[in-house]
Amino acid sequence: MLQSHVKFHSIAGKRLVLIVDDEQINRDILQHIVEEDFDFVTASDGEEAVEKIKEYGGLLSLVLLDLRMPKMDGFDVIQWMKSSDEYAEIPVIVLTSDESAEVDSLKFGASDFIVKPFSVPEVILTRMQKTIELYEDRSIIQSTEREDLTGLFNKEYFYRYAEQYDTFHSDLIMDAVFIDINHFHLINELYGRKAGDEVLIHLSDYLKDLREKTRCIAGRVEADKFFVYIEHGKVAYTTMVEEINSHFDNFRDIHVRVRCGIYQNVEKDLDIETRFDRAIQAANTIKNNYSKSIARYDNSTYQKKLYEERIINEMDDAMASHQFYLNFQPKYNVHDEVPVLASAEVLVRWDHPELGRISPGQFIPIFEHNGLIQKLDIYIWERALECAGRWKKEHGIEIPLSVNVSRMDLYNSSLLDFIIEKLIDYDISKSNLYLEITESAYMDDSDQLIEIINNLRAEGFKIEMDDFGTGYSSLNMLADVPVDVLKMDMRFVQNLKSSAKQETMIRLIMDIAKYLGMNVVAEGVEDKAQVDFLRSVGCDVIQGYYFSKPLPEEEFVQLILDERA
Amino acid sequence: MLTIDNLKELGADVATGITRCVNDEGFYLKMVNMSLQDANFDKLKAAIEGGDLDAAFESAHALKGILGNVSLTNLYEPIAEMTEELRARKEIDYSGYIETIFSELEKLRSF
Repeated sequence: MLQSHVKFHSIAGKRLVLIVDDEQINRDILQHIVEEDFDFVTASDGEEAVEKIKEYGGLLSLVLLDLRMPKMDGFDVIQWMKSSDEYAEIPVIVLTSDESAEVDSLKFGASDFIVKPFSVPEVILTRMQKTIELYEDRSIIQSTEREDLTGLFNKEYFYRYAEQYDTFHSDLIMDAVFIDINHFHLINELYGRKAGDEVLIHLSDYLKDLREKTRCIAGRVEADKFFVYIEHGKVAYTTMVEEINSHFDNFRDIHVRVRCGIYQNVEKDLDIETRFDRAIQAANTIKNNYSKSIARYDNSTYQKKLYEERIINEMDDAMASHQFYLNFQPKYNVHDEVPVLASAEVLVRWDHPELGRISPGQFIPIFEHNGLIQKLDIYIWERALECAGRWKKEHGIEIPLSVNVSRMDLYNSSLLDFIIEKLIDYDISKSNLYLEITESAYMDDSDQLIEIINNLRAEGFKIEMDDFGTGYSSLNMLADVPVDVLKMDMRFVQNLKSSAKQETMIRLIMDIAKYLGMNVVAEGVEDKAQVDFLRSVGCDVIQGYYFSKPLPEEEFVQLILDERA
Repeated sequence: MLTIDNLKELGADVATGITRCVNDEGFYLKMVNMSLQDANFDKLKAAIEGGDLDAAFESAHALKGILGNVSLTNLYEPIAEMTEELRARKEIDYSGYIETIFSELEKLRSF
């Protein structure tokens, strides 16, 4: 028997039915018939029925209603329900032994009737089921309430029950908790789908226990992602994660660890989806941080996300209104005693009218993440070639420019055509455009990528591997990829504590490059000692603040003109 | 203690009653015993004796519902008939019904 109105997250999670009959025997028999398939509450007269309907309200899926009762009869109950805004939609099946009453009750708004003596239980249950289905939202019926694998609520029902929970516990402080399994796809791949499913079931078992203990609501919302809506203070989350982890000790020798995002003390005027989005956002902040398994949502996470959204939304406008502009960082050839300006790297800057200067370190990763980088890259290439074309026309200057090419660009089949078309438009030769591809792009190490880069080289472009040493490239890879120039970032050697180690490292890189027929450009060079050393080991091209910071177009042109005067 | 066999002997439609109770014999017998103690039997008798047809109808109607559900055919049939007469508030002699009903009731209660 149901003890309280927290029924909807009882372990069985059945639909709730109100049984109204003044005769206990009739109520008992009906209970006996429905208890396997439904949760129920009972009332022994019309007035009590009204009380119960008010108490359970939207949680009721159906009312089984006797007509002839003391105090307030069934007709009055139906009339009261139909005239209320809140309860008019709850379907009613009338219990009657009088044929004449059947028609009347249907006229009053009952959905169906069950005659007394009751027919076989299956008939009653089927009629109840049919009636409920008829009245429930079609879309909700189509998706089943629980997902098959774990028996937890699916996403839609999870949200619905969480909302209902709030309706009846508006005074409680609640937490939204998101749990997922680290590297779940690897578990599937290494141990097979079946083992993956077992892991999910095993975690669900833990959550079902938790549900029993804490009266929380738990759901599996997709693959290895679980939601828990729980009263604040019912569980210590560090303990919970430890318990989950130890719950998996000795589980088929599979190492399972979870990640948990928590949005505590949810704001109840946010919709339920948003609350769980926040829990997910919190978890995402520790996505690749294996030392942390719990993250709590805080407003800065949210602000960061908002900021990202804003940057993404405003990119098109920013391009149209020329908020993006180019800087040029000179590269010097130090082969001879007097350094010679040899080329420049094109760098993008963003002056936002409200946010001020946004660092490329902030917006590039965001655009790379969602693919907008292709649009920005194309914009930069065209602006760069436009500048080069203008310098050539106005000053007769020709100087090679390096532009960044994102990994995503490489797989865009129209890339080459676009660049060639623009080179022709601005009358620039291919040899004056270097394409910088970041080291991490080569991590794909795919035949396709190698083929694309080979095509670019065959067309006459010079390929530079940017950020060499900052990623995790292997020497093996270096031998396979088609590259003309290695751009070695000095910051990576600066992490080596002793200068002896730095020097050895740089010598090694120089040797390898020489052996593979590649040139080396040193980036991030800041002082004379570095320049001297680099020159001594045969590194001829240097970029960095020691020579010049990135310059706006006019200053850069002036620099060239001064050099050549 | 009243048994399934006793009920069969007394003309109850035991099979239907048990089916209605989701094939739970023990539960069925419990319901039968409860029905035999229903206060409406005495209320019905008193109402008939006092000539209160409204009250008699209420009790008869209630009993009809209950006895039908526990499939006590020999009790249900006279009650059902009586209910229809009472529904029309017919001023006839109901003592025959009462006699039949109580004699059946006594038999059932004697176990």
